[in-house]
Amino acid sequence: MIKLSAILVLTLPLASVKAEKMSKRYSMVIDVTKCYGCMACVAACAGENNVPIGYFRTWVERIVKPEGNVIFVPKQCNHCENPPCLPPCPTGATYRDENGVVLVDDEKCIGCGACVQACPYGARFMNPIKGTADKCTFCDHRLKKNLLPACVEACPTGARIFGSLTEKSELKNIIDTRPTQTLKNYTNANPQIYYINLPKEADR
Amino acid sequence: MIEYFYPNEAATPLLWEPVLFAYTLLVSGADLLILASLGYLTKKLEKTIPLLLILGISFFSVVLLGPLADLRSPHKAPLLFSIPHISPTYTTPGISLIAFQSILWIIALILSIVFMLLYFSYPMYLKSKEVERFKGLYLAFSLGVDSREKYDKLSLITKGIAIILLLPATLWGLYPSTLLISQTWSFVWRNWVMLPVIYFADTFVVATAIAILVYFIWRRRRMEAEVIQPLLKVHAAGSLSVSALTALQLSIWWFWFDDSIIIQSLTTITSWMFIVIALLITSFVLSLIALRFLVISILVSLVAFAGTIANKWNILMNSQLISKTGMGVFELHLPADWLFKTASPIALAIFLLVIISSLFPLEVKEVG
Repeated sequence: MIKLSAILVLTLPLASVKAEKMSKRYSMVIDVTKCYGCMACVAACAGENNVPIGYFRTWVERIVKPEGNVIFVPKQCNHCENPPCLPPCPTGATYRDENGVVLVDDEKCIGCGACVQACPYGARFMNPIKGTADKCTFCDHRLKKNLLPACVEACPTGARIFGSLTEKSELKNIIDTRPTQTLKNYTNANPQIYYINLPKEADR
Repeated sequence: MIEYFYPNEAATPLLWEPVLFAYTLLVSGADLLILASLGYLTKKLEKTIPLLLILGISFFSVVLLGPLADLRSPHKAPLLFSIPHISPTYTTPGISLIAFQSILWIIALILSIVFMLLYFSYPMYLKSKEVERFKGLYLAFSLGVDSREKYDKLSLITKGIAIILLLPATLWGLYPSTLLISQTWSFVWRNWVMLPVIYFADTFVVATAIAILVYFIWRRRRMEAEVIQPLLKVHAAGSLSVSALTALQLSIWWFWFDDSIIIQSLTTITSWMFIVIALLITSFVLSLIALRFLVISILVSLVAFAGTIANKWNILMNSQLISKTGMGVFELHLPADWLFKTASPIALAIFLLVIISSLFPLEVKEVG
């Protein structure tokens, strides 16, 4: 009886932790109208994650519309619901965690480049220092400390909104109430970076 | 032209280096094994089987050296076999073609070696009786098959292995084109819809061109029509198929992409396709002439090599230089040691060919 209660005591919190973890689906909304191309997110990401010079976990595209308006569109790994980069990995080094974040296990990555070729968004690269595939992790090391991803924290205009899709959050509220767009829908990747006011020229 | 590409593409435009190009040529080893198996089962290429088998094993056994040399962390390559991603889970969905084909490579290689040993068993016994030197070695390779009756009985098992070998060898013949079209998002590969069939036919062109070349070097003016003509026929069919399918692919692109930016991006690829078509049609015509004048076979082989090298280079190298967006083209900058690195696996295949052909005969007079 004592044993049974001990098991119950031990397993109940564990089960609730697991359920809590499974319940999160991290995502990001980027409001294009709020981005003015300061590159603070790019710099913050590079500093936070030791991104090698010349490579980018996130970048900002400058688009000049036919009427002359300049628009800035931040891009990064879309942490897709159906990630095309996952199946080709020969060792399962690239995986998605319980919160839907697509990550790379450096210990398992042999550096074949298959995932880089498979990403339709050009969000992956081969890290020349580590010899492994590299990409945005939503700053998972910061998430574990209840901190926001570096790019979100650095954005001076709040153009990037980060949160869980399965919990009550600003992000979920926006996605539920405002029209949003995603990139390259024809790939069936079901990307989880949502844009507000994304011009059609940027969908490439 | 408006150029648009992702910044990470600009950092490493040629992600898969030319050493993988050697890989695409060495894959023809799988087709040589297909021809050897079919030859054994149908008794149509009977006199060519030893040549095809030895060539096939020499090339196929080193096929993975190309990708190994291209890995950024080659010391972790054994993980490919110890934790292959061949069963889908929530965290790692799908199946990796690279892992699947690597496992299949081991199976195909073991099957082909067993096939070769069984095929050569009785001829090895006969050879052991003819020679004094290495008599014991030849006897060992005879696997105890010391009579025609035993060899005939064994042929049932040999046929079974030849049949099983056809499946992994065919899948290898279709690979890596299946990987390029299904597990990458390169603009060119995704839209190269005829790629698997072009590639499959092209590996037969390479396979037969290699066999013709080796046979020519080996026999020179003593070539036998019985050996070379079946090879020339397969080669002619392969060359014509690749030319026709490449022309069809060109037409499909012209029909699909009326967008001038994309057509401009594809200029390099399409111009190389014309070269491939011209060379392989020439090879086809030369094959037909060579059926009557055997000495021309060497020209068939050389022209086909030029065509198929252009084709494989176009598929693997030039295609990588087009952005995933289809709206940008990068310049080709090859690493300084690319030729050495690319030639090394091929040189090792030739070295293996010399070793294996010194043990087993390229021509067997007494077969089952």
